[in-house]
Amino acid sequence: MGVARLKKAELYYHKSVHEQIAASLQESGACQIISSDVENQTKHSDIEKLISCTEEKLADIRYLVRTLTPHYVDPVPALDRMLGERPDVTMSELEELAAKTDLKAVCEKTRAIEHEIGEVRSKLSEAKVNDSILNSLGFLEYPLSVFSEGTRTLTALAGTIKAEKISGLKAALGDFSIYSEDTELIIAPYDEKKDKSQDIYAVVIYSRKIESEIRELCAKNGLSLVEIPASLTGTVTEEKEKISGLIKDFEAKESELAAKIVDVANENIPTVQKLSDYYNSLNKRYNGTAMSEETDCTMLTKFWIPESKVEELKIKIENISPEIDLTFSDPEPDEEPPSLLVNSNLVRPFNILTELYSSPTYRGIDPTPLLAPFFWIFFGMCLGDAGYALVVFGAIMYVFKKYKKISLGVKDFIRLFLLCSVSTFIYGVISGSFFGNFIDSFIPFLIPLKNSLMLVDPMTNPMQVLGISLLLGVIHLMFGLLIAAYEKMKSKLFIDAIGNDISWFLLIVGLCLLGVGMGGMLPPHFVQIGQFMAILGAIIIFIYAGKGKPGIFNKIISGFLALYGSTSYLGDILSYSRLLALGFGSAVIGMVINLLGGLAADIPYVGWLVAIVVIVGGHIFSIAINILGSFVHPLRLQYVEFFGKFYSGGGEPFTPLTLSQEFVNVKA
Amino acid sequence: MLGLSLALFGAALAAALAGIGSAIGIGVAGGAAAGVMTEDPNKFGSCLILQALPGTQGIYGLLIAFFVLNKLGLLGGAGAVDLTWNQGLQILASCLPIAVVGWYSAIWQGKTSAASIQMISKKPEAMGKAIILPAMVETYAVLALLTSILMLMGVQVG
Repeated sequence: MGVARLKKAELYYHKSVHEQIAASLQESGACQIISSDVENQTKHSDIEKLISCTEEKLADIRYLVRTLTPHYVDPVPALDRMLGERPDVTMSELEELAAKTDLKAVCEKTRAIEHEIGEVRSKLSEAKVNDSILNSLGFLEYPLSVFSEGTRTLTALAGTIKAEKISGLKAALGDFSIYSEDTELIIAPYDEKKDKSQDIYAVVIYSRKIESEIRELCAKNGLSLVEIPASLTGTVTEEKEKISGLIKDFEAKESELAAKIVDVANENIPTVQKLSDYYNSLNKRYNGTAMSEETDCTMLTKFWIPESKVEELKIKIENISPEIDLTFSDPEPDEEPPSLLVNSNLVRPFNILTELYSSPTYRGIDPTPLLAPFFWIFFGMCLGDAGYALVVFGAIMYVFKKYKKISLGVKDFIRLFLLCSVSTFIYGVISGSFFGNFIDSFIPFLIPLKNSLMLVDPMTNPMQVLGISLLLGVIHLMFGLLIAAYEKMKSKLFIDAIGNDISWFLLIVGLCLLGVGMGGMLPPHFVQIGQFMAILGAIIIFIYAGKGKPGIFNKIISGFLALYGSTSYLGDILSYSRLLALGFGSAVIGMVINLLGGLAADIPYVGWLVAIVVIVGGHIFSIAINILGSFVHPLRLQYVEFFGKFYSGGGEPFTPLTLSQEFVNVKA
Repeated sequence: MLGLSLALFGAALAAALAGIGSAIGIGVAGGAAAGVMTEDPNKFGSCLILQALPGTQGIYGLLIAFFVLNKLGLLGGAGAVDLTWNQGLQILASCLPIAVVGWYSAIWQGKTSAASIQMISKKPEAMGKAIILPAMVETYAVLALLTSILMLMGVQVG
């Protein structure tokens, strides 16, 4: 148990069988290919060709997935998909599918539709802009060609102007010396009493001869020009009719194209998803092969493999071709193999907690079995409700019964909560919490049963549970220190083990015995033992801290500083009071929900219905929010308080070459 | 009746200040989550969890408020208990830890959550660490909750 022992495999084979070899390494899912030296990389011309070929296909696939997925209506709900309800296919089926699917054609079709949609949309938005211009030019009776073409002598411009500046513009045009019948200012009708700063449409018709002067005048007097598109030539009413017809046409076209792309998506996405997994698998496979070394006809692939899989793979490989040489060796002391956590069924779900932090190094300690029991208890204490535990347990059993194809990682994660629901149930029973105080509120005949099973009562005697929480904290921390000491002793660092870890263990356990003993809860000689341990621990800490410091004065200073470090242990221990607080939190939230439900039940006629909604909905909310807290806080106790004593991770996780399973379940 | 008013004022502070803190914290984290999700909508699940983390302070505040109301006999038909102004002041004082710490810690937890959300946008595999960082801040809200609860339990009324 712990970090799996790996073997380093060296596999020599003839180039002609490289595809089969790579395929069986990938299908075994137990080999992490070791990258060979960089200068060899350029040699694999035929493999590079295969890689660029799959990459080309993948580019098309990525384009299709990105473009079509938003239009695809998945018949399988997302949750079902996550829980493994996806098509099962084999690699050979996928190969056939790949051979008969013309990805290029689908891409072209999609691109064509996308292009058309883009065109229609831009025309539509242009038409809408024109429409809004026409709406504001409703006051103009002349044909709009006056703006673009004009007549032989006249032309026009349009713009908007603030209401307060209109009189200024009028006056300016009036003062302009050549102002005559050739120049006319037409203002859109507006309400003078309204906001002075509103924008009003204005049209100026003028003689071509004075074009530049007029434009300058208009700009000076606050008329900002509006470009009238040359495509508008008729009168406003004529053009409006034309444009509303156009808009209708474009909208019809747009929805037709949208329906078309949905069709393309529904028709092709299932295939594209399968092919995505197929080509991604191939790509990973070829990239694995590309890490091998080669001569003209032979290749050498090196990989890590767990000891337990060696025999299985040997048989598989030797069946491919007789011209193969496969040797296994133990990792050299200077090599750093990746780490794979192997634990019994009961502990395995907790692997994810270690992996979330950081994988251990290959030769390091696997903290999973060490943290598992503590996490289990802490989670139970934080959620701490028998009713919630039953709901979680039931929901998970239902999921396991309904979904048979859940992937291993997801299954382990769910199993973590299944295990923790057991501890939650136990703590719920001994602390007398069942959907909060549901029993006291609604089923009074069960009260004697509940009370007879209760061992602790956080509601009336929280100090007791606080004591238990802190005691668990001390045990957890001391366990961490002992592991650290054990680790150091294993690498023959006896003095460090005693000075760093054992000393603190003695001091803290001694102080606890002393404190508890003085409270009269232990026989008096425990007080003496405690005193002795604490003093011994403190002396060791004091001396160890001064080790290597020059001069007696420095030794004394650093000794006191080290003893001052005990405040951090105090903080660590007090941190476990969250076990009480969170358990208390779930119980009180449950209580509040029951109380509100009880109040709702007093509403005439529909009270019972409201009460059920409040109680059911409330408890579901409470379960969700409390599970989050009960997961995060015990995890923090592991990572910060527990791991802080002995574990730093830093290993590279074992990542074998596997088939890509993003969309479908690919089998060998 | 001054006692009752003081006690209610305490309950109001607990629910209101801690609630304000959580609202700000969740808001800050939500902004970051929305930004990340425009790039990658698949991160909704993990973003939501990180966004929800600063929400607990509001619940702690509510919890204390209900605790006070229950102690005062204002829930259910029993009618309010009689309080001296001294007792009312004691209850008000008991509410302050979660009110003040809940308020502030939720805001800072929200900022940490937002940073964590940024982190998982680049490194989705670091989800474990991303959850722990905001949870470090919450420690002090939990401690304040505990203080408030223990203080309230110690106050004798009726």
